[in-house]
Amino acid sequence: MKLTKIFKHAVLASTMGAAAMLAGCHNATTVAESAPATINGMKAGGHEYILTVTRPNQLHIVDTETNQLVRTCDVPGVFGNGGIAMSPDGRIAYVMTNKWEDIYGFDITNCEIKFSAKQSYSNVQVKSFISMAVSADGKELYTVQNPVRKLTDRFETMEPRLAVFNTADGLNAKPARTFPVDRRITKIGSMQNGEVILGGGDLKAIDPKTGKVRMLKALQNWDRAPDKWVPPDAFAMHTMGEHVGEFIMPYFTIRWNGAPGDESKADFLWGHVRIDTKTGEVESIETVPFEFIVFNWVTDPNDKDILYGSFNQLSKHNVKTGETVKVQPMDHTYYNINMTGDGKTIYIGGTSSDISIHDAETLEKIGSIQLTGDMSTADLRLARLK
Amino acid sequence: MNNNKTTRALLGTGALALAGLVTLPAQAADAERIIRDRCLSCHTETGEAATPFSRISEQRKTPEGWMMTISRMQQQRGLVISPEEKRAVVKYLADNQGLAPSETAGLRYLLEKEPNVVESFDQLLQETCVRCHSGARIALQRRTEDEWKNLIHFHMGQFPTAELHAGARDRAWFDIALTNVAPKLAKDYPFNSDAWNSWQKVIKKDLTGGWAMHGYVPGKGTFDASLHATKTANDTYALVLEGHYADGTPLAGKGRAVVYAGYEWRASLTIDGVKVRQVLAASADGNSLEGRMFERDDEIIGGSVKAVKGTAITAVTPSYIKRGERKLLTISGNNLKGNVKLGSGLKLLNVVSRDANRVVVLAEASKNAAVGSNTVKVGSVSAQGALAVYDTVARVEITPSDSIARIGGAGGPIPKQKSAYRAVGYAAGADGKPGTEDDLRLGYMPAAWTLKPFDEIAEHDNDIKYAGTIDKDGIFTPGDAGLNPERKMSTNNVGNLSVVGTVVDGGNSVQGEAHLLVTVQKFVKPVIE
Repeated sequence: MKLTKIFKHAVLASTMGAAAMLAGCHNATTVAESAPATINGMKAGGHEYILTVTRPNQLHIVDTETNQLVRTCDVPGVFGNGGIAMSPDGRIAYVMTNKWEDIYGFDITNCEIKFSAKQSYSNVQVKSFISMAVSADGKELYTVQNPVRKLTDRFETMEPRLAVFNTADGLNAKPARTFPVDRRITKIGSMQNGEVILGGGDLKAIDPKTGKVRMLKALQNWDRAPDKWVPPDAFAMHTMGEHVGEFIMPYFTIRWNGAPGDESKADFLWGHVRIDTKTGEVESIETVPFEFIVFNWVTDPNDKDILYGSFNQLSKHNVKTGETVKVQPMDHTYYNINMTGDGKTIYIGGTSSDISIHDAETLEKIGSIQLTGDMSTADLRLARLK
Repeated sequence: MNNNKTTRALLGTGALALAGLVTLPAQAADAERIIRDRCLSCHTETGEAATPFSRISEQRKTPEGWMMTISRMQQQRGLVISPEEKRAVVKYLADNQGLAPSETAGLRYLLEKEPNVVESFDQLLQETCVRCHSGARIALQRRTEDEWKNLIHFHMGQFPTAELHAGARDRAWFDIALTNVAPKLAKDYPFNSDAWNSWQKVIKKDLTGGWAMHGYVPGKGTFDASLHATKTANDTYALVLEGHYADGTPLAGKGRAVVYAGYEWRASLTIDGVKVRQVLAASADGNSLEGRMFERDDEIIGGSVKAVKGTAITAVTPSYIKRGERKLLTISGNNLKGNVKLGSGLKLLNVVSRDANRVVVLAEASKNAAVGSNTVKVGSVSAQGALAVYDTVARVEITPSDSIARIGGAGGPIPKQKSAYRAVGYAAGADGKPGTEDDLRLGYMPAAWTLKPFDEIAEHDNDIKYAGTIDKDGIFTPGDAGLNPERKMSTNNVGNLSVVGTVVDGGNSVQGEAHLLVTVQKFVKPVIE
């Protein structure tokens, strides 16, 4: 879209006006002058940061413009899985800690803890596997809880549930509501319509107001002939897709072109489910040959047919044609991948203590960020600080 | 509360120091008192005479199994118990809620720390449980169905990600485990069994006395020794071991054995300065002990041992003689008195030396002796198939055929896990074709040892340079732990190798191969794998 000079001015003026209005009783002139420049010295106005967690237990914030570490926050408790969920304004990073039990919400501009929740209580041990998401309006935080009651001489496995926290409850928040969900749910995400995507054996969506669950995409219970297809196996370890407003989950499957079990005639395939969090549209295809191990796909913001994956290689694939576009060997194993909203830069992290930076076009390594500890299974999330 | 526990622990120690002087019922009463004192802050008394303590009374386990349970209670559930009390409770539970000999048969490799055993359990168990731990770990327990179910619930609390592993996340793992596996385990491995009921009624034999032991130690070879067991307390023996390796090197050691459930012999000895363990099973007649002896700090360095108490032959070494060959044979055993007979086609040229435990003879096989296995006799005692007469070594099998070694050391806390190999020779048998059913097993033969890359990838990655070395005795020592910047992606000194054993037979060299995967350290080492 081309804007005329006059129209541009008009848009800018209205934006600034809106900023002044939103500032409410604050000094409107100051906010209007500084917005969207910085918050506590950090570039804002949609500026992008990469976040991750390292051992022993630190949250790191990296500026994608300078590729410099701008802040490190100490996370209470022992390392969990390094899971991170961002508030929609890009300011609060919710970190899963203490062996997947506790959540702390950090203001990334100053490391202040704005939110906390200890999920275990009394004799009930509560673990959340990866699963953490913030509602589109930032008001609610969701986790899938896997409780086990530890009685004096035995354990009792309880039903998993979606827990809904009010982010405004601040420290020591307790779930406002809970609803039963399936077992084995790992990564979850929020949709603009208020539903929460549940990534488990199948992909479902739950209404966090009523607990009503609907199927988005059957995977383990898909309706395909068992002599033609092997039910998918998804290693759904990290949540991502925030740079383009999607939820993406790769899975592995086999298509038997001959007799079931005849590997010589079979296709070993990567499939994925991709959900547009704005429209709720669900895409599911299997085209990419299983030539590389990846833990995740990340979508090219400029071409939705292009996906990138990493593990021992960084690879670029066209999911429409199944073509492997480019492959770049890595210097060690990396579990996680993400990229900037402009589609120019890829960040590869997890496993060890360095984030590898690559040009999305050539896949060549263009930089590296050394952190203070191993990322292990930690998330690598993109935050747009508004 | 804690102070109370400490006081009790100290009192317990004092009482147990006198344990050697008290009688069996007193020991049992003592163990029950310890259970009441130490365990009932969490467990409860059921009021049932047959199963007095919640959970504890509805399981049967090996001594190692009970040891592991109590250790977990100490490490993770706050149990405070002195080492003496712990030993008393393990002994009591293994004796009264143990497994019968028939219930451990075929599964003893796990207790014996036998490396590189390839298990085969049914698919349901294999996929649900045996993808993480051995199948024998399950099959060496007996529980009620409720207790098997409690074990599944325990997994969910203790290892919450168990249902997310590959092979679990693609199915309703927890539901399958609870509704399909637990009832099957209750049927296959029931708490109440005829085997255990009968075994409890058997009057257990005293194992005091002189035993003739034959065994094998990697790097040192076969050995013969006399083992003297002197009873020091109920089911407890002081041990003295004296003997020789096949090359004449003497061996001597002392130690102590405790016998659980009337047959589970667990001994700790120091032999020539090296701490070793014996995990043996006594036969119901009390006349033989069989199992494995291994170094305490390097369990791979160990081998099968057999001890006999009555008149018996334990081994003939070597176990083969070639047609037309003249060689020294050692017959090992107990009370070896009388004439030596080697079988047809074999001439006894001379008895070189003999005592009650060892007869060394010079034997000659005639050029047209029949190929086959011969029975060796000393006086009235015989060992069937103990000596093979062969024409040529037609093939060589390397054992173990599939193996794992693990990098370690290099200043890290986890030592290298070695791997040890032996070559087994075979004659072709009547059909003249090696690899067929009628092949004649000749036994372990001396071999020269080399390594080669297992496949093209191993060759390309030069695994042979980094993964480790094998010595003249067939002991493979893996490379150092840690990243190696010389290697692709700075990978560890892992590798995929073939172990090649070459046996020289007359003018021929015969080779066998085994697969060896050199991999990373094992960071969790349970008592039972």
